[in-house]
Amino acid sequence: MRLRFQVTRRLEPSASMVFFVSVLSLLLAFLVSGLLFAFLGISPLEAYRVFWRGAFGSLYALSETVKRMIPLAIIGAGLAVSFQASVWNIGAEGQMLIGAIVGTWVALFSPLPPSLLLPAMFILGFLGGALWGAFAAWCRNRLAINEIITTLMLNYVAANLVLYLILGPWKGKTVRGFAYTDPFPQEAWLATIGTTRVPLMTFLFAFLAALFCYFLLTKTTFGFELRVVGRGEKAAHLAGIPAQRVVALVLFLSGGLAGIAGVGEVSGIHHMLRHPAHISLGYGFTAIIVAWIARANPLGVLASAFLFGALMSGQDALKVAFGIPFQVMYILNGLVLLFLIASEQLLYYRVTLRVAPWGEKEDEYDRVLD
Amino acid sequence: MKRFAVGVLLVFLLCFGFVALGNTQETKIKAGFIYVGPIGDFGWSYAHDQARRIVDDTYPWLETVYVEAVPEGEVEGVIDRLINQEGVDIVVTTSFGFMDGTFSAAQRYPDKIFFHCSGFKRAPNMATYMADFHQVYYLNGVIAGALTKTGKLGYVGAFPIPELKRHINAFALGARRVNPNAEVLVRWLQTSWYDPAGAKEAAESLIAEGVDVLAFTEDSPTVVQVAAEHGLPSFGHYSPMYKFAPNFVASGQLVHWEAIYFDFFAKVYAGLYTPKNLGNVDYWWLLREGAVELGADFGMPINPVFEDQLKSTIVNDPVYGEISVYDLVFALLKAMADPEYAFSPFTGPIRDRKGHLRVPEGVRLTMDELITMEWAAEGIVGAWPGEPE
Amino acid sequence: MSTIGFWISGVVGRTLAYSVPLLLSTLGEIYAERSGILNLGVEGLMSLGAFSAFAVTFFSGNPWLGVAVSGVVAGCASLVHAFFSVTLRTNQVVSGLALGMLGMGVSGVLGRDFEGKVLATTLPVFRLPFLSALPGFEKHNVFVYVSLGLAVILWFVLFHTRWGIVIRSVGENPAACDAMGVNVTLVRYACVFFGGVLAGLSGGYLSLGYRPSWSYGMTAGVGWLAIALTIFAFWNPFWGMVGAYLFGILYHFSFRFQAQVSPELLNTLPYLFPLVALSFVSRLAARRKVGPPASLGVPYQRGSS
Repeated sequence: MRLRFQVTRRLEPSASMVFFVSVLSLLLAFLVSGLLFAFLGISPLEAYRVFWRGAFGSLYALSETVKRMIPLAIIGAGLAVSFQASVWNIGAEGQMLIGAIVGTWVALFSPLPPSLLLPAMFILGFLGGALWGAFAAWCRNRLAINEIITTLMLNYVAANLVLYLILGPWKGKTVRGFAYTDPFPQEAWLATIGTTRVPLMTFLFAFLAALFCYFLLTKTTFGFELRVVGRGEKAAHLAGIPAQRVVALVLFLSGGLAGIAGVGEVSGIHHMLRHPAHISLGYGFTAIIVAWIARANPLGVLASAFLFGALMSGQDALKVAFGIPFQVMYILNGLVLLFLIASEQLLYYRVTLRVAPWGEKEDEYDRVLD
Repeated sequence: MKRFAVGVLLVFLLCFGFVALGNTQETKIKAGFIYVGPIGDFGWSYAHDQARRIVDDTYPWLETVYVEAVPEGEVEGVIDRLINQEGVDIVVTTSFGFMDGTFSAAQRYPDKIFFHCSGFKRAPNMATYMADFHQVYYLNGVIAGALTKTGKLGYVGAFPIPELKRHINAFALGARRVNPNAEVLVRWLQTSWYDPAGAKEAAESLIAEGVDVLAFTEDSPTVVQVAAEHGLPSFGHYSPMYKFAPNFVASGQLVHWEAIYFDFFAKVYAGLYTPKNLGNVDYWWLLREGAVELGADFGMPINPVFEDQLKSTIVNDPVYGEISVYDLVFALLKAMADPEYAFSPFTGPIRDRKGHLRVPEGVRLTMDELITMEWAAEGIVGAWPGEPE
Repeated sequence: MSTIGFWISGVVGRTLAYSVPLLLSTLGEIYAERSGILNLGVEGLMSLGAFSAFAVTFFSGNPWLGVAVSGVVAGCASLVHAFFSVTLRTNQVVSGLALGMLGMGVSGVLGRDFEGKVLATTLPVFRLPFLSALPGFEKHNVFVYVSLGLAVILWFVLFHTRWGIVIRSVGENPAACDAMGVNVTLVRYACVFFGGVLAGLSGGYLSLGYRPSWSYGMTAGVGWLAIALTIFAFWNPFWGMVGAYLFGILYHFSFRFQAQVSPELLNTLPYLFPLVALSFVSRLAARRKVGPPASLGVPYQRGSS
């Protein structure tokens, strides 16, 4: 006798079913996390309550969630486009840092009048991130270097560049020799919504980026072309689509959006350039997950970015309330991810555990309903 | 009806009286600590958390909570949660990078007390504090200068900022007091305060260049372990690292943040410190105040393994004359720890390695000059980012 | 020994010792990816391995038991990824990242009580005849030799044995393999497991040999570098070895030449070198059609092509 998993394919699930199953899987993930809290000596119910109140329970909690959602959504929208074209940009973290660097330069060292600072920071920050991304495209198109390794390695280069600047030429005059730049002038600070710490402008950018990328993907020729490229360069070649140009534009766009997120962080949150690990809370990497969970749909990215923003914010509340090790958060996130992707498969496939006698032909159990 | 009203009034008064009475008898203060690193890092945040536990255990009227691994930009949000969710009265933020966030929160919560480590921004409800090691490093340098055979000491530093530059300078000055030709070879990590792999390779490359005594600033006992592997003496940093290499940790720098916390919390409890009068409260506590300690382990200023060698090394000291290094260390320790603060490592004349006179004869550097120090003392070899011309 | 000889032996010695975890986890990832499964959880598996090796050695006093457990624990953990990506056919990127997070989280939470603890016994110095007499080979533990030998053996197995052909074919064209009676599921499970074991061992080396101690974050991104090096190596164990040692030597130089070159630039070099090296060879490789396994990241389902 042996155990076998039998997997059969379903037809396209409805939107309401996607929603229902996703919520169910989140609940399941939290149910399992309850064991973790019990293990740590915390009442699971109390933990759920703190998490809920910390992520959604008040205007303040929601604002903390949205604050984290913004960079995730902006970067995630660009990555969704990139993944649709099968361009594996995992360098958003570095592109974001470049945006932050360029934004800092504009804020502190450019001769621009105060009223032009913010627009220039965002435009040049976009360009900085975009060119940093496009460099990976150049490497892929001209030198045939896989963009995964280029973008990944350029993350380290960007982080070292930030360190070089804050320890060297850009080290602030007012920070007593510590590794920070001077604070930005007030004109380079993003206005926040009410008493929250959510910058209004990047909040709008998050929705604009999602809409723009969605429109680009579904309603334009370029969107069609990039999805063909995503099916493979051979297909693109047959269809007469210049794959190299598409790759370059896709990396330009996703890099640029990451750059905007970087400017948003330095001008909306930090008001200075500081250690790379503190500028971004791993947003560039988390956004990869955000884009995948949304199945590379820019509108879906808004939802998954909100989910991850809520996870980060609710976990902050847990940390404050219980003084738990910060690594608990990784376990929580890992569980949520596993349950989410498992549920996604359950939408399409039915998995059943069967006990089958040895020697029986596999085909009988693996009938595929396509 | 009148009687009833009077009765109600009486009950009300009684209740109020009890509440008021209860308050004066059982006032509890709740403090929230915010750390930049994990409390297990065995360095900075670990030391702060050890101190938090000690004061929490000692003061029955004090309750503490903590939040670890808080990114610098997130500190304001964590302060909000500590105050609104946990109801803390005092917020302690323990990283320079928390300064602006703490300062801004101090404006928004004028009736709460804020206590920020290593910064310089203060407010009526925000005080600052720091325990500094430069005296201890000077003593470590004296020991190192006597222990080295090659005349080359090694120093692994995390980031080239004034705090480390001050410490390395003190280390070099101390070493050259007993060994005028000693050199301090410096390697920087420039990645993170916690980088064991970097610390290991930096220490190895120093040893390959002939270094035979090691000191460092990084949040793990790596350098101590590497030195021991090569049979070389080293100096522990921040935490008692004796146990990682009992035969090789000669001494080290130990911190007692609780000394500062005891004082501060007690004064808040007694009503001496209020959210109105902290504008000039700045602790800069050293050996004298017991905020730092010389030692491989608590209560072990010099590892007994090295006692004989240090006792038999006689130097001709400009102040103490013919004296063994062992006695010199304790003489200097006494001079630095005395209430009159009889000796400072940064007393002129001191030249930097480019030959400029940095501290004129008879002058002692002020605290402000110490915490903005960028120059490199004579005898330091290696990159020194931000070195003034 | 002459100064030059001393210098060379120092550089070789540090490179060998530093590169071990990078090399081991790269070799493991190469095998997983060759079978068609992208495992992005290497960093978490390493952390699990480092923690479990330390904890077991701490209690048992036997580092060899610790080594064994680190491999088994990480190998079993990687089966979670295999289950999701092979059996459930989920997205490999997400399930790998999730596994990585779980690995970091579990080792971090369980490892709390072991931070700052001291081991009574660690991996001893291991000497091989002849090899240990070479400059730079003098004082190492067994991992240094095993990883070096494994690189050669795994290269041989992958390109010159039937097993190697099967693994590579499963990664290229699972449908054809299936038709020929190869158990695609089994091969992929085995390769992911093997990759997990090597990642775990590289963690065990860190906590028992390289720097005998456990603290969270000691893996320091090596798991991510392994994923990059796998691509750099064109999924070939031999080039994986070259890449790992090149990275190691540059990392060592970043401290060796600090007096001469700015530290920031030196810190960047190890990450730039793969790009520079690839800029010379990638076009050649593309012309020879050396690329990623054709089915890398694509779940296999019988009957659908």
